[in-house]
Amino acid sequence: MNIVKKVFHPLTQIKGRTSIALIAVEAAAALLLWEIFGSNGLIPTPSKIIASVFRIITTESFIDNLFSSLSLTMTGMGISILIALVVSYLALIPFFAPVAKFVVKCRYLTLTGLIFLFTLLTQDGHQLKLSLLIFGIVPFFVTSLLSIIESINSQEYELCKTLRMNNWQTMLEVVIIGRLDQVFEVMRQNFAIAWMMITMVEGLSMSEGGLGTLLIKSNKYIDLATVFAILVIIFALGIFFDYLLRNIRLWLFPYTKIQVRK
Amino acid sequence: MKYSKNEVLVSVEQVNLSYDKQILRDVNFQIHNIVRPGLSQGQVISLIGRSGIGKTQLFKILAGLIEPNSGSVRIGLDQHPVVAGEVGIVAQNYILFNHRTVHENLRLAMKHSSITIDDKQKDQLIVEYAQKFDLAEHLKKYPLQLSGGQRQRASIIQQVLTGNKFILLDEPFSGLDALMIDRVMELLIQISTLDELNTLVIVSHDVENSLAISDTAFILAREKDKPGATITETLDLIEMGMAWNPHIREDANFQHLVAQIKHKI
Repeated sequence: MNIVKKVFHPLTQIKGRTSIALIAVEAAAALLLWEIFGSNGLIPTPSKIIASVFRIITTESFIDNLFSSLSLTMTGMGISILIALVVSYLALIPFFAPVAKFVVKCRYLTLTGLIFLFTLLTQDGHQLKLSLLIFGIVPFFVTSLLSIIESINSQEYELCKTLRMNNWQTMLEVVIIGRLDQVFEVMRQNFAIAWMMITMVEGLSMSEGGLGTLLIKSNKYIDLATVFAILVIIFALGIFFDYLLRNIRLWLFPYTKIQVRK
Repeated sequence: MKYSKNEVLVSVEQVNLSYDKQILRDVNFQIHNIVRPGLSQGQVISLIGRSGIGKTQLFKILAGLIEPNSGSVRIGLDQHPVVAGEVGIVAQNYILFNHRTVHENLRLAMKHSSITIDDKQKDQLIVEYAQKFDLAEHLKKYPLQLSGGQRQRASIIQQVLTGNKFILLDEPFSGLDALMIDRVMELLIQISTLDELNTLVIVSHDVENSLAISDTAFILAREKDKPGATITETLDLIEMGMAWNPHIREDANFQHLVAQIKHKI
């Protein structure tokens, strides 16, 4: 009874099993309501979606499509983080700062308007998808990385000076090594953007397949059970990678587990 | 109590600093090497002033971190202009690299230090200091796992390991309970007596504790109708018979002096 009171009380911290139980109960209730009241509607019910999920993942082409989407996302993410890191670190050198500022502003450029330009610049569909993905992610990466760099306490730079480090050594210690954990966190957060964009760019060249291609084809035939099933798969994979990257970060950078002193 | 004041170790001459208004005006003082026969006696100096008077700016000027508008800070026996890196600083919030363990933080201090010893000896030295200052069992921990006192000790040792003879401490007694203040005082005395030329400069608004540990104190305050803070008084606590006495805070004359200084700042 006490727990029930707690979950309705503002500013109460819910931890561990209670938190998991709360999520499970609310998710089960939502699915149950959807199942009961959604049976006569246009949107397929959870049971139909789950049946479609099993049907999709047991088809022969699923692994190929999944692999195609994952490899494109990973390649795009890898190249994007490299470009973003180079641009962000170079931003500390005054000569290159305007370049970083411009890249940050590129967040407001719409990809759709640039498809023709990228088609001219690239040689095949794969390159087109990859370049659009990178162009879409890099400005967001750079924005997050620059905000990390800007939030560094100036006392850390002063500490480096007292330890007789020159500016390059200071940059290596404070900005690069000292913020690697946060770079990883940015990567985790931006993976969501890449994963979300994958379905869009895969629609531009469908010859390689991919989850995005499956989604677009099913949308075309208004096969909503399949559309929702693919969305569930994309959602579940996104959650899985988020969890995976979070744990890799904790493993690589154990100090991030320590609660920050207030 | 036999002692002599020998060479000038730090000289601050006509330092002025202003941004949109004057912060520091004509700051002048000197720190001499105090020699006591048969002892390795370093120097402990206090720069006392109320909050917001410009202590932190003077602190940064002394460390070579910022340039004054005019004037100079010279250090060492050869009295060369101070360069960032020659003066250690222990910030009020005891800044350490949170991504490195205490051992790695201390090791990093020795990477560019003036102490030229091999890696094994460096590790030995770290262990020696850690044992001396109750940090031996915390060497593998990250700074965020340490208490405030432990962080402060690690921060001070880090600066000592750079080989710097001059260490500035910003408000070292701030936020500590009475017991911890006594321990910090013991630690600072230990550090100052590690080497004859070791010079600790405490920048603080805590009059009582700063005076209790110092051999010389400079009062940083504003003079009537004049802009910016300057050194308004120099207290030679050795001459006054108030230095190097662990029980000085119980002395009536000392308490009277503390009350006077508090009134002046």
